[in-house]
Amino acid sequence: MAGKSDHEIVPVHEILRLKEVNELLQEKHIALENLPKIMESDPQCRKLGAKPGHVIKISRNDNGNAYLYYRVVVEG
Amino acid sequence: MQAEVIQSVKFGIISPEQTKKLSVVKLSVPDTYNEDGYPIDGGLLDQRLGVIDPGLVCKTCGARAKTCPGHFGHIELIRPVIHSEFSKIIYMLLQSTCGSCHRILMSDDEIKGVKDKVKGIVALEAQNLTEEEIAEHDEEIEGRKSGKSILKKIRSARKCPHCGAVQDKIKFSSPTYFYVGDKKLKPDEIRDALAGINSDDLEMLGIDPNVSRPEWLVLTLLLVPPVNVRPSITLESGERSEDDLTHKLVDIMRINQRLAQNINAGAPQIIIDDLWELLQYHVTAYFNNETSGIPPARHRSGRALKTLAQRLKGKEGRFRYNLSGKRVNYSARTVISVDPYIDLDEVGVPFDIASKLTVPFYVTLWNIDKARELLSRAAYPMILNLISIDGKRKRVIDTNREDLLKEMKPGDILERQLIDGDIVLFNRQPSLHRMSIMAHRVRVLPGKTFRINFCVTPPYNADFDGDEMNLHVPQTLEAQAEAKYLLEVQYQIFSPRDGEALITNNEDGITGMYFLTKDDTRLTKDEASYILGIAGIYELPKPEKSGLYKGKDVFSMLLPKDLNFETKISGGTLKIVNGKLVDGVLTKETYGRGNNKLLIKIGMDYGTEVLKRFLFLSSKLSDAYVTFIGATIGVKEYITTEQIEKGRAELLENTFKMIDEKIEQYKARKLEPLIGYTRRESLERMIIVDLNIAREKAGEVLIKNVDPANSAMQMARAGSRGSIFQYEQMSMFLGQQATLSGGRIKRGYYTRRVLPHIVPGDVRPGARGFVSTNYYTGLSPIDLFMHAVGSRGSEVYKALLTARSGYLYRRLSNALQDLYVERDFSVRDTSNNIVQTIYGGDAVEPLSVQFMKMREKESK
Repeated sequence: MAGKSDHEIVPVHEILRLKEVNELLQEKHIALENLPKIMESDPQCRKLGAKPGHVIKISRNDNGNAYLYYRVVVEG
Repeated sequence: MQAEVIQSVKFGIISPEQTKKLSVVKLSVPDTYNEDGYPIDGGLLDQRLGVIDPGLVCKTCGARAKTCPGHFGHIELIRPVIHSEFSKIIYMLLQSTCGSCHRILMSDDEIKGVKDKVKGIVALEAQNLTEEEIAEHDEEIEGRKSGKSILKKIRSARKCPHCGAVQDKIKFSSPTYFYVGDKKLKPDEIRDALAGINSDDLEMLGIDPNVSRPEWLVLTLLLVPPVNVRPSITLESGERSEDDLTHKLVDIMRINQRLAQNINAGAPQIIIDDLWELLQYHVTAYFNNETSGIPPARHRSGRALKTLAQRLKGKEGRFRYNLSGKRVNYSARTVISVDPYIDLDEVGVPFDIASKLTVPFYVTLWNIDKARELLSRAAYPMILNLISIDGKRKRVIDTNREDLLKEMKPGDILERQLIDGDIVLFNRQPSLHRMSIMAHRVRVLPGKTFRINFCVTPPYNADFDGDEMNLHVPQTLEAQAEAKYLLEVQYQIFSPRDGEALITNNEDGITGMYFLTKDDTRLTKDEASYILGIAGIYELPKPEKSGLYKGKDVFSMLLPKDLNFETKISGGTLKIVNGKLVDGVLTKETYGRGNNKLLIKIGMDYGTEVLKRFLFLSSKLSDAYVTFIGATIGVKEYITTEQIEKGRAELLENTFKMIDEKIEQYKARKLEPLIGYTRRESLERMIIVDLNIAREKAGEVLIKNVDPANSAMQMARAGSRGSIFQYEQMSMFLGQQATLSGGRIKRGYYTRRVLPHIVPGDVRPGARGFVSTNYYTGLSPIDLFMHAVGSRGSEVYKALLTARSGYLYRRLSNALQDLYVERDFSVRDTSNNIVQTIYGGDAVEPLSVQFMKMREKESK
C-alpha cells in the first residue's frame, strides 16, 4: 500500500549493518548515543522494522547535493 | 577533598528560642550614643554587636574591623505584634482552624482520605512510571490538583467537625488587623490561637511544624541585625548620620519602652491599645516600608525610609544590583560619535578615559630598562600602579616613584596608561552576533566621546543619536593577541551569516561615489587634487586631452593596480581593467552593503587588510566629493510638474474606470470568478491586482517625467537613500493602505463602511483605503484618515514583530552557541553528540565562498 513514507520527496532510509555501524562509530570517534535519534514509531522505522539500537542511514538529496545522515533508533 | 553535594535546602521560620540563641545582647536603651559620643551599652550601636571602626576590638569575638562578622542582638517586645509579611498565612490558619478547639476544620475521615491519597501519589512518583501507567492511576493523581479546592472548602466551614463549635467569620484587614464580628483580635489572642493548632493538623495545611510553628509568626522577640548591616556615616562636620534601619529600630524601642512604662503605671486600656498599635505600625514599617495600608515612615527630610524589604527588592535591590549585576574592571562607557578621518579599525578614546584605563606591562630581565624608562615618567603615558611579584598593588605617586624604581624587579607588572595603538575590545548592546564585539586600535583624542568610523556602524547597529558603547582593555598578552588576530575589524568585514559585506560605506558615501563615477563626471586638476588629497593620495591619474580628469579615473587611484574584474550590474556591466574602472557606475549594488561582488573580489584576492584600506580611502574620497559638489535634497525635488500631474490623473482615471467596469460586471453577475474563489473574493482580488499595476505604472510615469538630475531620483538610483516608491508617495499618490491582515481596509461602521462619508457597500478604491493624493499636494480628510489607519497598523505590527523576533533570535542563538564544526565537517555539541553529519548538508562556510556561482545558486 502506498503511503506518506513512499512519497518521492522522502529520502531513502535503510538499516545499517552492524559492521558498518561499527565502522561509522570508529570513524567519527563517537558512541552510539552521540548519533541523532529517530523514534521506533517513525513511519520509516516501522516500514523497515527497525528496533532500538539499529542505525538508520538516510540518503538525503538537497537540490542535487547528496549526503548521508545517520540516526540511531530509540524507543518511543 | 570531595565537597558534599547539597541534597536539599529547607526554609523555616525563626523561633524565639533561635532568636535568643543568635543574639549576643538584649537591647533596652532606645538610643545610639551618649553625650560623650560613646556607644551606649544596651543601645542600638552596642559594641557587642560588632565593630566597624578601624582600631577597635569587638567585645564579642575579639576580632578587629573587617574580620569581625558582626553579631545579632534582640529586642524583647513588651506586647507581641504580628509579622506583617505573614499576615496572609495567619489569616489562612485562623480561617481553617476551629475558634475554640483549634483543630483543623476537617473531619478525621476526610483527613485520612487525603493522607491516603498523598501516600499513593508519593508511592507512584517513587516508581518512575511511564505516562501510560500513570494514566491508570488517574484518580490518585487527581488528588494532587485538588489540594487548593479542599483548602477553599475548609476555610469557609461553618461548624467544627471535632467539637461542634459554630465558627465565627473572621475578617482580615490589611496589613495586620483581624476581626471576629466587630471585635478586634489582638496579637496575643492570635498567638494563643495559633499555638493551639496541633502538629498533625499543620502538616495537613502544608506547614512543617519541625521548622515553623505558626505562633512564631507573631513576634515576641525582634532580632536586631549587627551594625555591619547598618553602619553610621560620619559627615565632614563631625556629625553622625545613622542608617535608615537604625532609625526605625530606635522608633520601635522608644514605643516599646513607653508601652512598658504605661503598663507598669496602670494606664487606661485605650492608651495601652493605642501604643500597642503604634508598636505594630513601626515593626511593620521596619520589615517593609511599602506595605499597603500603612503610610510609609519618613526621614526628617521627607524621604521614605529604606527598610529591610526595600534593600532586597527591585532593580536596585541586593539581588539584581549586587548579586546578579557584576561589574567589570578595565572598561569604559560613553556616548559615541562619528569621525570619518579615523580608520575603520580604530576607536577614538577621550583623553580622560585613556588616562584612567591601564594596560599591563610585564617586567622581565630583557625589558627592565624600558620598564624603568616608563616608570620614571611623570606625565601622560605614565605608570599608574605597580603590582609586585607577590601580588601587592601599589599606586605610583610622585613621592614614591624613586623608591619603586629601585624596588622594581623582573616579575613585577606595571600598569601603563592607554596609548595610541593599544588593542581594545569595543562593544554595543544588544550583542546579537559576534560582530557586536570587535577589536579596535586606540586613538587618544580630545573630547568626551568615543569616535568610530561611519563604515563600522552596521555591525554594531549603532547610530549617533545618543548611543553609548563599552570599551574593554584585554589584560594579558594572550588576550591581546587573540583580540588582534580574531576580532579585529578587518576580519569582520564579511558576515559569517551569508558571506556578504557588512562593513561598507553607506548613505552619503554611496551618493558621493555614484556622482564621482558617473560616465560624464569630469574634474579639473584642482578638484581632483583636492579630493584625492583628502583621501591621502598624492598622485593624479592621467588627464584626458581636454586637461580634465575623468571621475572614474580619479576613483581608480584607490584600486589595486593589477585588478581585473567584470560583473553584470543592473543596467549594464561593471568592468575594471588593470586597476582602472572603464565601465559601470558604483552604486549600493557594487559598493555598498549586501552581496557585493567588487568588495568580495578585492577581499578574496588581496586580503582584508587591502579591502579595509580601500574602504577607508574610498569613504574619505567619496565624502570629500559629495561635500565638494554640495549634493542636497529638499522639497524642490518633489514639486509636481504639469506632466506628472497629467500622468497621475490619467493613470488613476484609467485604473478607476477599469475597476468600475469590473464592479458593474459583478453587479450584473457577469464577472467570471477566479478558480477557487467566490465571486466576491474574485472581485476583491482583481481590484487589488489592478491597483498594484497602477502603482507600478506610477513609477514609470515618474521616471519618464522627472529631470534625471533630480537629487532624490539620483539618490534612489545610487541606492544610498530613498526609493522610487517613496518618491511616488511624495509626488504621485500614496496607494493602497493595507491592514494587518493584508487586505484592504473595510471595517469601521456596522453598515460595512469605513467612514460615514462612504455609501454602504461601496467597494471602489477610494472607499477602501486607496489614497490617490500625495504628500506634496496634500491629503484630503478621508485620505488622511485612511493613511492614519495604515500607519497605525504598520507601527503596531513593527513593535510586535521586533519584540517577538528578538526573543526568538535570542533563544535560538543561546541554544546553538556551543555547537562547533569538527574536522570531518560534522556539527557537534560539547558532549560530542552529532547534530548534523555534514555542516549545512554541504559543508559550505559562507565566508569562504569566493565565487558567485555558488551564491547565485543559493539565492535561487
